[in-house]
Amino acid sequence: MLLAGGQGSRLNSLTKDLAKPAVPFGGKYRIIDFPLSNCTNSGIYTVGVLTQYQPLILNSYIGIGSAWDLDRKDGGVTVLPPYTASTEMKWYTGTASAIYQNLNYLHQYNPDYVLILSGDHIYKMNYELMLEHHIKKGADVTISVIPVPWEEANRFGILNTDEELRVTEFDEKPKNPKSNLASMGIYIFKWKMLEEYLEQDNLNSSSSHDFGKDILPQMLKDRKNLFAYPFKGYWKDVGTVQSLWEANMDLLEDSNELNLFDQNWRIYSVNPNQPPQFISQEAKLTDSLVNEGCVIKGNVSRTVVFQGVTIETDAVVKESVIMPDAVIGKGCLIEKAIVSSGINIPDGSVIRPKIDGEILLVSEETLEEMVTN
Amino acid sequence: MKKRLLGVIDATTYSENLKDLTPHRSVAAIPFGGRYRLIDFILSNMVNSGIQSVAIFPKYEYRSLMDHLGSGKNWDLNRKRDGLFFFPSPRLDKPVFGIDSFEHFAANIDFLNRSTQDYCLIASANTIFNMDFYPVLEWHMEQGCDITEVRNAGESLNIFLVKTSLLLELIHTRNETGYLNMRDVVKDINSPYRLCYYPYEGYALTVDSIDHYYLASMELLNPMVWKQLFLKDRPILTKVKDEPPTHYSKNAVVHNSMIANGAIIEGTVENSIIARGVKIAKGAIVKNSIIMQKTQIGENCILDHVILDKDVKVESGVSIAGTKEVPRILQKGSIAKGECVNT
Repeated sequence: MLLAGGQGSRLNSLTKDLAKPAVPFGGKYRIIDFPLSNCTNSGIYTVGVLTQYQPLILNSYIGIGSAWDLDRKDGGVTVLPPYTASTEMKWYTGTASAIYQNLNYLHQYNPDYVLILSGDHIYKMNYELMLEHHIKKGADVTISVIPVPWEEANRFGILNTDEELRVTEFDEKPKNPKSNLASMGIYIFKWKMLEEYLEQDNLNSSSSHDFGKDILPQMLKDRKNLFAYPFKGYWKDVGTVQSLWEANMDLLEDSNELNLFDQNWRIYSVNPNQPPQFISQEAKLTDSLVNEGCVIKGNVSRTVVFQGVTIETDAVVKESVIMPDAVIGKGCLIEKAIVSSGINIPDGSVIRPKIDGEILLVSEETLEEMVTN
Repeated sequence: MKKRLLGVIDATTYSENLKDLTPHRSVAAIPFGGRYRLIDFILSNMVNSGIQSVAIFPKYEYRSLMDHLGSGKNWDLNRKRDGLFFFPSPRLDKPVFGIDSFEHFAANIDFLNRSTQDYCLIASANTIFNMDFYPVLEWHMEQGCDITEVRNAGESLNIFLVKTSLLLELIHTRNETGYLNMRDVVKDINSPYRLCYYPYEGYALTVDSIDHYYLASMELLNPMVWKQLFLKDRPILTKVKDEPPTHYSKNAVVHNSMIANGAIIEGTVENSIIARGVKIAKGAIVKNSIIMQKTQIGENCILDHVILDKDVKVESGVSIAGTKEVPRILQKGSIAKGECVNT
């Protein structure tokens, strides 16, 4: 069950008309390609995608799931929007409420285990190994965790565990963290246990219907078997403009852990079927990722360029992310910016941050005020 | 239009002049432009013209062609009704030059009998162009033609429009008339049919020799040409791969080249066509060349005027040079070793 209803409000105008999981990433992908590809690559072929916020683009992107090989006779991908029932309107009010309202979907398949994912993170993970761990530990629920730097631990939901990885305590954004194992928002439940707790939680009017805040603490209180599953590898929450930019820049590192070129763990996406990229005689292009359908005539370095982008002659683009179909006019200077899809930046524009370390988000609304020529 | 025109792709073309690129594939399946195969152009043109039923008649080495086309999904031809049909030659024991397209069509006559489309567009699979066939049908009907031949600069593009009923008649009477294919019909000045020529003004190049293959590839680097071929509203469709975007390293130098996805460029590339998944290592220089899918070029190699087929491995330090007139070709899967491999 893939929770994809998030707004991602800290991504500002990027998520104005778009759910966060549909935000473009890495020159070709959308964030949701990562969990969906992980599912396929892990041998999970029945995936419910729960949508709520601005679902149009996300829904049409997922389609019948063929891009991820999830168009199946049995199972496959099913988009699960909120719906009205005979007695009430049912918006998803929290992560647990979203799953609760789709218990009927789960009943159809009556699985042994349910994997809960979020559509907000960039990572490659074999969920099958996590399930093996879950079974071996005899867990009722397994929570995937990743070590975070100690100084940042106060920003995460931290799990304290014993040496057997049994969860002893939840610490939501602790001031004085006792552990640096942060929850990744990835859970495996025994199906019957999940059902029982969701039913129970639904009746609790003081609950916020959230896995991290309500369901898991309640299970801990009831002395259920909660185990942590330590994940090793690249994992990034791209919830802010800064972190989205950083994650894109990470792809340009030679030693980047998120190797998109790995044939054995392909990240699938809807392919735009555009012609190859054309690099002109006068172009200078280094240290960058460039997708199909681009025309590069300018000077581009340390930049991730999505499909259909044109970068005109004498334009200089550095340390930036240029989203699909944007046009960078002649002689522009763009530095440390994310340029939104379809933006046309007029010739000679200069866009660069005034404050050190700032990342600019260039959208229709902000374009005028950011140009400083 | 949508229900009126049947697409027939005669993929039986064999050219001795292309044999270095066709030891394991038909001409229709020759890779082109970094991510396409020759057949993508005619097939996409048909689909973009609203044709919903396409029959492909291949004769030689069609494994790679079948693999490429699959269910027709990438061309939106995986349909419940109509869609993509594949008719390999049923008689492999016959001498290769003995049977021609009418014989081949006759072996699959049931398909043509069953087709509901009134008109048939018959085309070969090796022309690089982007053309709308709708105006050809309008012209054909307006002028009251029996056979319309599409021509570019006075030369036939081997594209013919006929009523399906006339095509059936030509197939049935092939032994009496002696016509083996459409070209025989239009070449016969005594044929009883009203023949029209439809002039196509845009860019078109038929690939029937290495010369033309190299020329058409290099012409892709001319914006005047690629702007005519790659149109937003009439895209050339192909089998998509899940390759990541191409990675250009800190030392990459790239000028005037067309590069497909999934490549890793660490060296220098000039005036070249680089296909999906190609790796060009540090210090390597690739000029005036066509490098096909998944070929790997080692460090400090120097390549000039070469055509490297798929999965070629050029070991570090190797230099290979051809000339503009005679580009050096390395066949699929070959490994280039040693100091210098010159023609």
